[in-house]
Amino acid sequence: MKNSWTNTFSGFTRIKVVGKYTELFLNRCIHEEISIWHIRRVGDEAIVCYVSLEDVKRIRPIVKETKVKVYFIERKGVPFLIRKMISRGGFVAGIVSFVALLFILSNMVWNISIEGASPKIEHELSQAVNELGIKRGKFHFLLPSVEDIQMKVTERIDEATWIGVTLNGTTFHFNVVEQTFPEKQEPVSPRHLISKKKAIIYDIFVEQGQAKVIPNDFVDKGETLISGFIGKEGKMEIAPAKGKVLGEIWYKSNVSIPLITEFSTLTGEKKTKHSLSIFDINFPIFGFGNPEFTEYETNEYRNRLNFLKWSLPIEYHRKVLLEKETLVREYSEEEAVDTAILMAREELMKKLDEDAVIKGEKVLHETNENGKVTLMIHYQVIEDIAKSQPIIQGD
Amino acid sequence: MRKINKMVRKWMTDKMELPADVTMDLPRITMIGQLHIYIENHRGVLKFSNQELRLLLEQGQLLIKGNHFVIKTILPEELLLEGIIDQVIYINDGEPKKR
Repeated sequence: MKNSWTNTFSGFTRIKVVGKYTELFLNRCIHEEISIWHIRRVGDEAIVCYVSLEDVKRIRPIVKETKVKVYFIERKGVPFLIRKMISRGGFVAGIVSFVALLFILSNMVWNISIEGASPKIEHELSQAVNELGIKRGKFHFLLPSVEDIQMKVTERIDEATWIGVTLNGTTFHFNVVEQTFPEKQEPVSPRHLISKKKAIIYDIFVEQGQAKVIPNDFVDKGETLISGFIGKEGKMEIAPAKGKVLGEIWYKSNVSIPLITEFSTLTGEKKTKHSLSIFDINFPIFGFGNPEFTEYETNEYRNRLNFLKWSLPIEYHRKVLLEKETLVREYSEEEAVDTAILMAREELMKKLDEDAVIKGEKVLHETNENGKVTLMIHYQVIEDIAKSQPIIQGD
Repeated sequence: MRKINKMVRKWMTDKMELPADVTMDLPRITMIGQLHIYIENHRGVLKFSNQELRLLLEQGQLLIKGNHFVIKTILPEELLLEGIIDQVIYINDGEPKKR
C-alpha cells in the first residue's frame, strides 16, 4: 500500500470510469499493477477512484480494451499545485513579497522613545542619537549594538547619570536617569571647625566663630581651628563656625619609570569582513581572504535578524580587522626624570581637592638601576584643612 | 492427479502445522468489527457496488454484503474494503473454476 503523503508529492487524480465492464477494468488495472485506491460506486455503470499521476498514461490501453470511458474529475498533489501557482503568478508573487516586506520592515527602526528626560536633555539626546545614525528606517543590523549605543550616549550626555537603552521590537527605548545635585545647605547646627590633617597654618579667614590658631602655627589632626563658642566668658553663645583655613602640607611620593617601553597602537588600516551565520554556520558575503598586514586586532559585531517579534537563527556578522603596530619608546635619563616628575604631579593632583595648590616640589632622591629611573619627590601643598565637628550640647 | 496433489497438501498442512493460507491458496480474511475487511489471496473482483462485493477465489467465490462500500486499496492479491459489513458468504458452486 502506498502512503498517501508520497502520493501528494507525485500527484494524483480522481477519475470517473463509466461503462458496463467496470469490474473488468479494475481487474485489469490490478493485473497491470496500476495503483488505484478509494474505489466507490456512484451509479449503475460508474465508479470513482483515485489514480496516481504516473499511472494515468498506463490506463489508456485498458480503457480501450474494456470499452469504458474515463472522466477526470479532480487533480490533486504538488505538481498540480505548482502549475496552479505558475498560472496565478501575481498572487504568489504578492504573498512572497508580503513576507519579504514584513521581514525587511521588522528589521528597521520605527520609533525612538525617550523617557524620564527633561525637554533640554531630551533634545540633546535625540540629537546625539541622530548623530549615531539611529533614525527611522535604518536597519538594526547596520547599527552598533545596544551596549555600544548605551555607552556612547551616556558618555555624550553629561547631565544624565545613566541612560538605559533597550531595543524593543522595532522601537529604541531610552530611559534617562538625570543627575540631581543636592542643594548646598547652610550649616545650621552649631559646630567647630577642626583640622583634618597634620599641617602648618598658611592662612586663616574667619566668617563666624573664634579663631584658635594663627598662621605658621603647627596643628595636629583633630585640633580645633575655629571654635563655635563666641562671646565673652560667662555670656558664651554657641554658633556654627564658618571660615576657611589653609594649611601647608608636605607630601612625599615615589615614582619609577622604565627607560624602554613597548606598546602597541592601531595604524588605522583596517579590513572588514561581512558574513551571515545561519544556525551558527558562517557564510561569508563580502570581504574574503586574509588582510595584507600580519599583526591585527579583531572586533566582532553581531546582529540578529528578526521576524515580527521572533528572532531568527540568522545573524549578520561584521568582523573588523585593525592593523596593529608595536612601538618602542626610549627615554634618555633626563627625559625619564622629566616625565616621572610630570606623572607624579598628575597623580598627586588626582588625590588632592580641586582648590589645592602645589606650592613647591623638590626631587629628594634619584636612582637609575635595572633600566628604571626611580625618583622620590617632596611636595609642599596648600589646601583647605578645615573639617566640621558638631557641638553636642549637654544638658 | 489434481486430487492427489490436493490430498498431499492437506495432509502436509495438518501434520506439519503450516498455516493453511500459505500451502493451500486459501483466502485469509481479517475483519475489524464491521468497519474493515481485509482479504488476501483473492483472484479478482467480479462485482462491486455500494451494497455488495463479489470476489473470485481459488476455489469458489466470496460475497460480502453491507452498505457504503469503498475499496480503500486494491493490489493483485490483497484488498481492503471499508464500509458497514453485514455478511460474509462463501459460495461453492460445485466444481472449482478453471483458470
